[in-house]
Amino acid sequence: MSAAAPPDRVMAPVAPDAGVFDVLLHARYLAGRAIRESLRQPGVEVTNIFIPLFFLAVSTGAIANFSGRGFGVENYLAFQLPVAVLQAVAGSSAASGIAIVLDMERGYFDKLLLTPASRWSLIIGRVWADAIRAVFFAGIMLIAALLAGSGMASGVLGVVVILIIAGLFGGAYSGIGIFIAMRTGNAQAAQAGFLLFFPLLFMAPAFAPLEVFDDWLKWIATVNPVTYIMEGMRGLVIDGYGWPVVENGQLMFGADGEPLTKPAPGLHWAFVSLAGFSAFTLTIAALALRARTRAD
Amino acid sequence: MPRIPAFLAEGLASAAPQWERDPELAIQAKGLVKHFGDIHAVNGIDLRVRPGQVFGFLGQNGSGKTTTVRMLTTLLRPTAGEARVANFDIIRDDRQVRRAVGVALQEAGLDILQTGRELLRLQARLYSVPRSDIEERISVLLDVVDLSADADRKIGGYSGGMQRRLDLASALVHSPSIIFLDEPTTGLDPISRQNLWEYIQRLNREDGVTFFLTTQYLEEADQLCDDIAILDAGEIVQQGTPDELKATVSADVIYVHVDGEEETQQRAVSAMLQLPNVEDARWDFNEGVAIYTKAGHETLPLVVRSLDDAMLPFSNLRLARATLDDVFFKATGHRIDPGDQSAQSPAGGASGGAA
Repeated sequence: MSAAAPPDRVMAPVAPDAGVFDVLLHARYLAGRAIRESLRQPGVEVTNIFIPLFFLAVSTGAIANFSGRGFGVENYLAFQLPVAVLQAVAGSSAASGIAIVLDMERGYFDKLLLTPASRWSLIIGRVWADAIRAVFFAGIMLIAALLAGSGMASGVLGVVVILIIAGLFGGAYSGIGIFIAMRTGNAQAAQAGFLLFFPLLFMAPAFAPLEVFDDWLKWIATVNPVTYIMEGMRGLVIDGYGWPVVENGQLMFGADGEPLTKPAPGLHWAFVSLAGFSAFTLTIAALALRARTRAD
Repeated sequence: MPRIPAFLAEGLASAAPQWERDPELAIQAKGLVKHFGDIHAVNGIDLRVRPGQVFGFLGQNGSGKTTTVRMLTTLLRPTAGEARVANFDIIRDDRQVRRAVGVALQEAGLDILQTGRELLRLQARLYSVPRSDIEERISVLLDVVDLSADADRKIGGYSGGMQRRLDLASALVHSPSIIFLDEPTTGLDPISRQNLWEYIQRLNREDGVTFFLTTQYLEEADQLCDDIAILDAGEIVQQGTPDELKATVSADVIYVHVDGEEETQQRAVSAMLQLPNVEDARWDFNEGVAIYTKAGHETLPLVVRSLDDAMLPFSNLRLARATLDDVFFKATGHRIDPGDQSAQSPAGGASGGAA
């Protein structure tokens, strides 16, 4: 602190514009902070585990004995597993919006805005942390369901793909929380980010297959991206997935020993839906951040 | 050479830089304006702060101090006007501005779930402080703000004063050449305030750091600042060194409480203005009638006689040296009252905050 004063303290070291590397590096530090905070308030996170597990248990308990006769679903626990995963992930990602509002209320958000870190790293850091948390919560749902006997038709690789889907969905869902936080700066509104999940989740084939839905609900479910994400995961749990193999010089996809010439239906639509959903949520989050930091 | 048509010449003139940029200045502003809808928080501020100066913005709540700081530190976009900080434009080169300055806003903006050390580490990383320097820098700073013993405790358990000190340390983590402090000592106890003053003076003297601080404490402005601008209703109404400012009011002030309504007070003021040596006289509710004069001792008996002649009953007659308080009163027409929160402007910032 007592170094001799340089002759000219006006000129700051000229900073090169933030490269992608800097943005990602800063995002990593911010994600680390967000994860650290989750670990420091485990009580908040327990809710994100308890609620979906509770729903998984009661819905399976109520419907499993009837689902085979009722709508041809023999393993209802497996049918419900993706719902539990998505619910846990949405709950944890919505909490992120509340965390941002708290940062704003405490003035810490301004402190972050005052650093030369790119504004994008603020968003990417949150999305990144939510993706990691999503994988964690999805893992817990998977372990619980597997222990309860859901089975996993696509094996270990299927578990990995489900965790990847959960991570991507968690990152995408955090865009909603960020958007609400930036637009309102209001904790109650951010809390409502989770409520948005109810139409998204239950206007999808959460409790029964699409075929048995009323026409109006079927129509909504068909345009709901969560339907495809849910069905993609469900395919992995119940039907298995034909991992590509090369046989006789030809690319083959075989599920349960039965050779197919294309992947099991659904999974690629899950990724297409994820891409669309995340493009939408992250764009509105970015626009909201920009509007806020240029507040007039 | 062909003559340039008048309308074109006008256009060219207005396209030329509206102001003389001075790369030698630490902070420079011209016609800075900020309106929040109908609220005119800042109404055209010009600033020239030299490197190594401690520049003070003195004003009440709602006078536009915080809004100005938020504009200069890139948190708010000006409605009009231009400003350069560390020779970078606050809008075009906002990232460079942020890198050059350290900022401690009015409310210590901290994250209660991190420890003090973690907060400083994150801050250092976001400022791209070289990795090898970070830990040493943090321990030096923790030492300076006297938080070494509490560095690994969560910030949520810190007292208000500790949070304020940590906030200050976080503004210093990247060795900025210019530091903005928005009401740095509001809410601090006298000892912490004194310590902070000494630290500001040390950084300024030894490292040549430029300070831009806002305050509503006259004593703070008087003790710390090389240059003071008095801000009222979003405009600078008076500017100069503390001595220059004091020289704008007379050397002595005679205070007297005259009994009666405002009309009576105004009669007293008129009577005082008739007296020889009296340069100015004003009335306000708290201090009564203030009579500014070069020669207090000679004027005192004249004041008494004049009030008697005018049949104005009075009490509490006293003679004082003029202070910044008198400068402020003369410039703005009201006295500064740090306890008054009612004047707080509702104007919001990037995430709320008062003007």
